[in-house]
Amino acid sequence: MNEITQKMRETARGLLNSGQVALVLGWEKGYPWYKSAPAFIDRGEDVDRLVFDEFCHNNLSKYLLDLVAVEGRIALFVKGCDSRGINRLIQDNQVKREQLYIIGIPCPGLKDPDDAAGKKQGDEIKDAAKCQDCRYPNPVVYDLLLGEKVPVAKRSSETQALIERLEKMKPDERYEFWAEQFSRCLRCYACRNICPACNCRECVFDRATPEWLGKANNLIENQFMHLTRAIHVAGRCIECGECERACPVNIPLMALNRKLINDIEELFGEEPAGLDPEKKTPLGRFELDDPEKFM
Amino acid sequence: MLAIDKKRLNELLRNMSRDFRVYAPYLENGTGKFAPYREDRELYLEMNTLLPPKDIFFPQTEKMYRFRTAGSALEIEEIEDKKEKQVIFGIRSCDAFSIDCLDKVFLSRGYEDAFYKNKRENTLLVGLACTAAGDTCFCRSMGLNPQEAVGVDLQVLDLGEEWGFEARTAAGEGLLARYRDLLRETDAAPIPTQEFKLKVDVEGVPEKLSRMFDHPMWEEISRKCLGCALCTYLCPTCHCFDVSGKVKGEEGYRFRCWDSCMFSEYTRMAGGHNPRPTKKERVRNRFMHKLCYFVERYGQLLCTGCGRCLAKCPVNMDITAVIRKIKEAEVE
Repeated sequence: MNEITQKMRETARGLLNSGQVALVLGWEKGYPWYKSAPAFIDRGEDVDRLVFDEFCHNNLSKYLLDLVAVEGRIALFVKGCDSRGINRLIQDNQVKREQLYIIGIPCPGLKDPDDAAGKKQGDEIKDAAKCQDCRYPNPVVYDLLLGEKVPVAKRSSETQALIERLEKMKPDERYEFWAEQFSRCLRCYACRNICPACNCRECVFDRATPEWLGKANNLIENQFMHLTRAIHVAGRCIECGECERACPVNIPLMALNRKLINDIEELFGEEPAGLDPEKKTPLGRFELDDPEKFM
Repeated sequence: MLAIDKKRLNELLRNMSRDFRVYAPYLENGTGKFAPYREDRELYLEMNTLLPPKDIFFPQTEKMYRFRTAGSALEIEEIEDKKEKQVIFGIRSCDAFSIDCLDKVFLSRGYEDAFYKNKRENTLLVGLACTAAGDTCFCRSMGLNPQEAVGVDLQVLDLGEEWGFEARTAAGEGLLARYRDLLRETDAAPIPTQEFKLKVDVEGVPEKLSRMFDHPMWEEISRKCLGCALCTYLCPTCHCFDVSGKVKGEEGYRFRCWDSCMFSEYTRMAGGHNPRPTKKERVRNRFMHKLCYFVERYGQLLCTGCGRCLAKCPVNMDITAVIRKIKEAEVE
């Protein structure tokens, strides 16, 4: 057992047994060995299910939307990216900071479970795409930090390399690229449902009257869905990369999200989402000196 | 047994593709799927495909009929499928059994779905034996034989250097006779399937589940579910659909498309009432359908142990763990 796992269990046990929190959100070992799954612990005797390893991908902040009715405080474990998700939800008035007990884990970067499929424990496994150029491995908000902060490594990522490749393309080539990606979308909505920036009470895609998005799976509807979603989360995406990890057909969704983040940062100054819960998002406020290049 | 050198399989499929529309497993953008045969592309035979073959019979979106109005007159035009003879090559035992489940749904109990039937009865199935069990494969636990697919016309066996063929129906015999020139007799023995890493005991589960509708277990199991349709859309047996339409001016068409019991609006009625209002009811329904209701209606499980949901669920919802929980649960 690693040191963080041990500390997680001790912390969770203390919080539950003392009655400080009603529920702890963490991760537990799943199946196969390269999967770790969200765990909901509400009894001190269950804390030994908790683990932290290089497969703890799930951003648990998303579950806070399901738990608004829980009486008492909720403790949750967060990596750097996950912690930005909490700030985002606070910003959107979805959760209250005082209802949470946030336990930060400086994140060493996770591994790609798809690359581990068929391999044995101990084999070399690729770094998860979403962790390759992580800018905030250390939680930005917490009540307790487990372990020492980790340095931010400036690394190249597959996502940024793809963005550079796309930027060099002619518009028609770029259209072709994305058309090919979106044509294989299954419309399972795993990307939306796992996203902590997607917190509308009723999603526009689920509305039957009016039916903004048709149910047919075809390129036009799929494109409409993905572009609407990309624009809707622009300025609010906290780069947890969960959409891309959840996608069963490998659509490089983070290239879309990250490109929008790059553009927003270039236009409005460096303002990654989910750092400051008090500050309005760049696309959610108006300033007289906002750039108007597109007008 | 008749066999072909593994290097010459493409030649057999090329010949076959002159007589039939042939579907075979390919890797496209990292996703394994059944696609029309293409000479210039390498087959993907190492593992099962991520996408099941169900969409060949039951496409995700399928037009049903067109209509046009002129004053008070209504004109309806049926959309006819092309009756093309087709072969699906390389179906694993789990997916072959899923087609057997779909046959029960779409073709038995007094109603035949014309769209499904048309494609199904024009299709020959060629099974492919599995010698390796993937990390999330558990078909054997669901009572299937990875070397012998249910309902196929022809079974392909892995003989090491060669692929062996054994006919299972008269149509399968016909296929072997048609391509006899490319095949030779061999006495090589099939490579047996490796030990499965994942096992689960499903004995007694359907009966027990019929008494567990109100069990508190569902609350706990469903907590981590995101309510997306990934599991149902990758599932080879899930077959729910929704009928919808497109109207432009005086004309339009009706179509059906896959739907998922995991979506909140799946059971939402006109007026807004939803008999499955939370994840608990929806997750329960999914497992009840697979492991209880289908067994009650058709006498077989609606899970074939293909392991796709377990391999891809973003929160690692594990149907084998659910089965174990059901076995352990205390029931009055």
